[in-house]
Amino acid sequence: MLRLWPLGLGVSFSFTGDGERNGATVGLDNYAELIDDPLFRTALRNVGLLVLLLPVAVAIPGLLATFIYLRVPGHRFFRSVYFFPAVLSPVIVGAIFNLLLAFDGPLNAVLGGSGVGPVDWLGDPDVAIFAVVGVHIWATSGMALVVFLAGFATLDSALLDAARVDGASLARMIWHVIVPGLARTIRFVVVTTTIGMLTSMFGLLYVMTSGGPEGSTYLPEYYIWVQQGQMSRPALASAASTVLFLIMLAVGLLQVGLLRRAGRED
Amino acid sequence: MKQRTLWSASLVAGLVVLAGCGSASDPDSASGGSKGKLVVWDWKSGDATASSYVKKAKADFAKRHPGVTVEFVAQPFEQYYTLLGAAIQAGKGPDVMLFNGGGQIRDRVDSLLPLDEYVRDDRKRLAGWEAFTKDSKTYAAPVTLQGHPIYYNKSLYRKAGLDPEQPAASWDEFVADCRTISKATGARCFAQGNKEGIGIQFFLSGLGSGVLSPTEYDDWIAGERDWSSPAVKRVFSLWKEADDKGLNNDGANSTAMFNDAFAVFQSHKAAHVIGLMSDIGHWKDFAEFLDAGNVGVMKSPVVTAGATPSLPYDGGIGYAVAKWTKDPEVAADLVRSLTSTDVLKSFYADAGAIAADRTVDVSSGGPAVATIVSEIDRGKPALHVALPSKTVDLMGRLSQQLLSGSVTVDAAVKQLAASDQAG
Repeated sequence: MLRLWPLGLGVSFSFTGDGERNGATVGLDNYAELIDDPLFRTALRNVGLLVLLLPVAVAIPGLLATFIYLRVPGHRFFRSVYFFPAVLSPVIVGAIFNLLLAFDGPLNAVLGGSGVGPVDWLGDPDVAIFAVVGVHIWATSGMALVVFLAGFATLDSALLDAARVDGASLARMIWHVIVPGLARTIRFVVVTTTIGMLTSMFGLLYVMTSGGPEGSTYLPEYYIWVQQGQMSRPALASAASTVLFLIMLAVGLLQVGLLRRAGRED
Repeated sequence: MKQRTLWSASLVAGLVVLAGCGSASDPDSASGGSKGKLVVWDWKSGDATASSYVKKAKADFAKRHPGVTVEFVAQPFEQYYTLLGAAIQAGKGPDVMLFNGGGQIRDRVDSLLPLDEYVRDDRKRLAGWEAFTKDSKTYAAPVTLQGHPIYYNKSLYRKAGLDPEQPAASWDEFVADCRTISKATGARCFAQGNKEGIGIQFFLSGLGSGVLSPTEYDDWIAGERDWSSPAVKRVFSLWKEADDKGLNNDGANSTAMFNDAFAVFQSHKAAHVIGLMSDIGHWKDFAEFLDAGNVGVMKSPVVTAGATPSLPYDGGIGYAVAKWTKDPEVAADLVRSLTSTDVLKSFYADAGAIAADRTVDVSSGGPAVATIVSEIDRGKPALHVALPSKTVDLMGRLSQQLLSGSVTVDAAVKQLAASDQAG
């Protein structure tokens, strides 16, 4: 009851009005306004973009874990280094990268030194969302890396040894031995990374771009916060959060489906 | 599997059945502080610079209401309106609350008590009431005045061989002076930040009186805004032109207005900044880095003939009373204590804010503050403060699109007109 009642109230509020129509039942007006709002459409488009970027977010910790598992020189040191950002607050991570990615910041100074023109990392609407997602992946990949390393512990090392004896290249070993052997782990990381990207980017977004430039980095969570807190539109915010809830429900059902399939393979 | 799917479907259906019950904001919920206690929410009382102000206000109020306890709850400014919005919806908010003038308070007057009958005696002494007024009713008493003077760095003027006491009076002269300064010192003309889209608000209000005719300016403030007028379009084309001509610091869209842009000005990297009169980014902040004698204040250069530049300002912050408070008269009395002359003197002295009280002596504040105060009587409300907050939000995004060239001035003002009309 304590879990469902607030959820029900949120959905209920989404069918009422804001401002002068406060409390009046307005049917689907809020949802119609959301569909008409280019800012909300951008937020939903960015959700789609995050899903498209998911393979990158999974591949990076996967590859790093592979290198560590294959005992690259200094692997113990790298294991700590890769995990370290996972214990930093998104606010701190955002503040650090604000400095690094500033127009007159160190990254652009390096680019300038190498003859490449400066990039307005957080001010160019075509670039900013990738900058924020990139930082999110940087900050959170440590946790996925730990999961991958746990998965490697279950991998049959005899298969890898056999591949080595047969003279398989690193790429072939990854593709034909490691990826099939870690199928369950990869599915788990895909699902948890998806959920993390959809629900945990608010802090980073708030600090790094505040939804800008041109609203290009809006995500549904940030949109809800702006409508509720800044625009004094709680009913519209409730409608937006109901839409986000439905998206999350779909992702959750996908998660249940994927885990069940993984379980069946046992 | 089928049973689980059924459960999920039942849950969603149950939630939808609840549709239409209640509202997100319940205006009839009664609450507030108990009798004998007043709760104040603000984002100032936690600052060291406001501690003597709060202490004096409490003492002043205690003299008249010894049996009433006052509790200040300092909230983080970034979260303030979100927290306040949640409290208002619950009908359990504070008795007295701090507001910025303009859209933030006007959007929430349904939850506030009109204060006209309680603050009648303070009308003449305090300035800036318009920013806290909606439909001829006043909802807060002003503590500070907030405005957007153009500050300039006199030492850069001197280095460039320009007379720092005679800044340019026309836009063409201004641009020419900027070119001279850039050549001689490497500094840009404007310290500009627009990461959050706030830069356009400062630009519109800081330079608007140099672009709009006096009649058009007054009509704008009165709510009769002609977005298709050439002068209004000129403000937005000027915004783009300033960036295109390299007058702004590089990367304005990735630089935050607060902190970053002001830091650019303070570090001699830009000759001018459209700043504030209170809080941060004001004369006292700048004087710490540039020396008080080097901080100049100028009015907008004349961009279109017939314009009469003036200081744009409104009531900055002010205290309002929630309509659910148990004893409105006592709560209003607390607002009067928070805006009494002696108390406001402390706020000016410690925080450097221009107090809303005209009788506060500012003679020891340096040349910049003297210039600002001398312009108050001839000043007019800031243009962006008159806009609904939704339009201001849209204007922020459009300003970024103007800089990147993804929207034209005509298309931008058309969208702004539609948003302004919708209110």
